[in-house]
Amino acid sequence: MNDPVLVVKELTVDREAYVAVQNVSFTVPAGMDTAIVGPNGAGKSTLIQAILGILPRRSGEVFVLGQPLSPGGKLPPAVRQQIAYLPQNFLFDRRIPITVREFVGLGWDRLGLQLPWTGGRARRHAIQQALNQVDAWHLCQQPVSALSGGELKRVLLAYCLVRPRRLLVLDEAPAGLDVRSESEFYRLLHQLKKDQGWAILQVSHDLDMVRRSCDRVLCINRTLLCQGTPDHSLTPENLSLAYGPEFVRYRHSC
Amino acid sequence: MTIQAEFTRVIDLLQLPFMHRALMGSVLTGLMGGLMGSFTILRQLSFFSDALGESALLGIGIGVLLGLDPSWVILPFAALFALGVAYFLERTHLWTDALLNIVCSSSLAIGIILLSFRDDYKGGITHLLFGDILAVRTSDLVFSGLMLVACVIFIGLTLRSQILLTLHESMAIARGVSVSAQRTAFIVLLSLVVGISIKAIGVLLISAFVVIPACAARLLSRTFVQYILISAGLGALSAVIGMIISAFFDLPSGPSIVTAQLAIFLLSMLAPNRRRLVL
Repeated sequence: MNDPVLVVKELTVDREAYVAVQNVSFTVPAGMDTAIVGPNGAGKSTLIQAILGILPRRSGEVFVLGQPLSPGGKLPPAVRQQIAYLPQNFLFDRRIPITVREFVGLGWDRLGLQLPWTGGRARRHAIQQALNQVDAWHLCQQPVSALSGGELKRVLLAYCLVRPRRLLVLDEAPAGLDVRSESEFYRLLHQLKKDQGWAILQVSHDLDMVRRSCDRVLCINRTLLCQGTPDHSLTPENLSLAYGPEFVRYRHSC
Repeated sequence: MTIQAEFTRVIDLLQLPFMHRALMGSVLTGLMGGLMGSFTILRQLSFFSDALGESALLGIGIGVLLGLDPSWVILPFAALFALGVAYFLERTHLWTDALLNIVCSSSLAIGIILLSFRDDYKGGITHLLFGDILAVRTSDLVFSGLMLVACVIFIGLTLRSQILLTLHESMAIARGVSVSAQRTAFIVLLSLVVGISIKAIGVLLISAFVVIPACAARLLSRTFVQYILISAGLGALSAVIGMIISAFFDLPSGPSIVTAQLAIFLLSMLAPNRRRLVL
């Protein structure tokens, strides 16, 4: 359990004609909530998508649970099963007919070749438990397209929770939640981290939340500017480096 | 002639072996089209299936010129053509519908030019365009049956990966779904389904088998699994209704089936729970 869940070594990622992430190295230990902060266009989403193999990398290495991510973005299925990812905007075609129960079930599945009825009772039980955890069991028969923004976030979180994981990767996941749902969201993350030792890697723009809830912070603007505890990383000097001096003046005047 | 006499005539007609084969062939095509069509329309590949159908004429033209049996040329041609078009669409940053229009019309044009070199095919172009379901042989039925089994096995074993891939590509990659392999396998299978059905349905109407039952099923279903099953079921139902209407009124079979599909689609639009389902 003491081995880091994620190790990133000198990762460089290109987007079209420019270098979006350059030479970034860090580790994510188990049972810790690590935040990635930085201005818009700093390469935060690119970084996590390259870590997950969604975007190709130019150079560097990524190890998840000790297993290397291949240059083509492949990881062993058993490792993939331990990762859950929530994208920045869950944009999907609302004409696709899928219920909340079916969607959350996809989080449970191994997604290799399998018979369509695999899982049976264990799968149904896990879906119910996950939806209860996010207080959304009553939505199970609803089409995903009929959910409100807040309900959709809770259902997406249930998709992640439906099976025990080791690494949860969130790209501005709570954006769009009201104050109460957001605090509930973080309470749940805290519980998963403490009780089950999940490592959380989340992109966030909410620096106050990062100070309150996260154990470690990575400040990024194309390159890694600093990393450490929130108190160590979110100093006016570092924020000025990441966001520019104007931003820090604004925050001090608030 | 009384209705009763007409009814007896149709029953007698349906007893004939060639009608049995035609009915089975159309039901198999309906099932395959509905099954593959459920994913095809959600992935916005409807026009792609149309282009595949029309490109078959090019395949037949090449086969005829090379002196090969078109039935043998069409399947490998359809698969290679589908992969080529998919690659072309990925590499060219233009509008998909515009590119598919280029593929569609040019393969139709070149196909007809190639066929015009052979006198014996000049008159048969109508058959190629609209198909001849009554000419279906037992060997065609065996091929279609095997293809249906292949589609059921493929969709069945990869169902959950296919659903997640259709819903959100990045989330599917993050879970280890090999998007390019799944996509390629789906496109090849779709092209084979289209290729194998060309003889019976013709190049112009085959895409209706893929698109219309799936659209009707979308209006009638709530869950994804229901949607796939209803789509395949409506494909088969419209084939049976279309064949009976075709026998009753002595109408061309392929167009009768497509008209039955349209009627089912229009009825689905009247379904009472439509408002709740389409958001």
